[in-house]
Amino acid sequence: MIDLKDIDVIFNPGTVLENKALRNVSLTVPEGQFLTVIGSNGAGKSTLLGAVSGETPIFQGTVKIDGLEVTKLGVHQRAKLAARVFQNPLAGTCASLSIEENMALAFKRGRRRGWRLALSSKRRRFFRDRIAILGIGLEDRLSDSIGLLSGGQRQAVSLVMATLSDSHLLLLDEHTAALDPRMATFILELTNTVVKEFSLTVMMVTHSMKDALASGERTIMLHEGKIIFDVAGRERQKMDVSNLLELFNQARDEDLGDDSLLLG
Amino acid sequence: MSLFAFLGTLEIGLIYGLVALGVYLTFRILDFPDLTVDGSFPMGGAVAATAIVAGINPWVATILATFSGAFCGLVTAFLAVRCGILHLLASILTMIAAFSVNIRIMGRPNIALLGEPTIFSPFESLGFDPLHVHLGVIFILVVCSSLFVIRLLSSDFGLGLRATGVNSQMVAAQGGNIGLFTYFGLALSNGLVAFSGALFAQSNSFADVTSGVGTIVVGLAAVILGQTLLSGTRIWVAVSAVILGSILYRLSVAFALSSGMFGLQASDLNLITAVLVALALVIPKMKNTVQCKMMSGRLPDSD
Repeated sequence: MIDLKDIDVIFNPGTVLENKALRNVSLTVPEGQFLTVIGSNGAGKSTLLGAVSGETPIFQGTVKIDGLEVTKLGVHQRAKLAARVFQNPLAGTCASLSIEENMALAFKRGRRRGWRLALSSKRRRFFRDRIAILGIGLEDRLSDSIGLLSGGQRQAVSLVMATLSDSHLLLLDEHTAALDPRMATFILELTNTVVKEFSLTVMMVTHSMKDALASGERTIMLHEGKIIFDVAGRERQKMDVSNLLELFNQARDEDLGDDSLLLG
Repeated sequence: MSLFAFLGTLEIGLIYGLVALGVYLTFRILDFPDLTVDGSFPMGGAVAATAIVAGINPWVATILATFSGAFCGLVTAFLAVRCGILHLLASILTMIAAFSVNIRIMGRPNIALLGEPTIFSPFESLGFDPLHVHLGVIFILVVCSSLFVIRLLSSDFGLGLRATGVNSQMVAAQGGNIGLFTYFGLALSNGLVAFSGALFAQSNSFADVTSGVGTIVVGLAAVILGQTLLSGTRIWVAVSAVILGSILYRLSVAFALSSGMFGLQASDLNLITAVLVALALVIPKMKNTVQCKMMSGRLPDSD
């Protein structure tokens, strides 16, 4: 479960470059919900995800994950509670390590890393079983360097890695944006499979309105650091991309209206 | 080269193999160019020699020396991680400071260990040839250190250490503490280097504050030479390559100097080493560029 309360994120506060990336955002994602987040460039989508993962320093407000207040904790301290898959396929894995070594790293996510051998035969079997879910033959290449894999394959491995530790929260930061359309579809399908299989709570940031509606059960749209709408359930099922666009324009016009009132 | 000279060179190569192991940990594993070794190598010698002269057991003195080096590493890590100083500069600061500290430790710029007990003396008193004893003891210590490093890098902790130098963002996202890995890596690396310094001092019967000059370059030469000749991503291959590199480096230097080739003299060593390391770092890049040019030269044919 994610619980964000009155979050303000300000980049370069007090300077001419001051940028309010999130303005008083509150959001609760209940256990087991698959939330998709859309918005234009600079709307604050990735900042919102960063506020949960700890990447973005928060100016004001509180962040709770699974009921635990984590506002002041750093990225590595929150890692125990949430797994992440990055937009850049190269960011989520370590190129110089083998596939199984990367999996061993993820296996110990947020737990103490000790003297024990990272690759016991028991762990190897476990990794082999898990990576077989992908169905792309990687289970026979576990000792290959992950740098040999394509971006899409690495992203697929990242997804499996996110499920190896026991947290139930998955943060996806435009994780299909850097892939070709075929691979993006594959990764998105895989995401849905994995989320169902391990009953994860998901926050997925995406550029694609189509993907945002096709996956998950709730969608929010950000604009200039605010949540401008939040749809779920039956209302959402009836929507298509054109509805979304309409809603977006409507919300933006209201926003402009507010501003013109202020300025007027 | 006489057998005597050969065994002596082998011994120096093995001792500096520990330096190479330390440099491998920072330069290759952590991606942290660490010049602290120029200070921690003589510090190892200084601490060991001072302790031995003060009547402390040579093994205890060697362990103290190792810890002194680890402390140097921690100082550099503190400057880099906590104070945010550029890695290279942080290590230069520690190196410079260590020079003064080393003279303070010894009370003078050098200490002779002639006639003092060393870790080798119990075996020498059994009647073995000193050269064989040195070689045997050092060989065993280097093998043990290498096995320790290999085992460490294969552990859960070691994986975090290895990933830190390649993709620190990923390590943080997996809950690894980058700062902790940097502290540990630098402490271990400089501990090994100081251990090497302590062995060097005891084997040569003196500790000298200037013995650290160029340690980093010699270490780099060993790492690069070894990994060029024996390439592989497996940890035990890389570690063996590094030790082997150190021995080969010493042998080739000794050969070049003893054969009187090109009229070289011992003091030319630093220059030659620097040139070799520079070449070894540049050649792989040049090879890539040349290959690219050849490839692009072929492409227009299809038009």
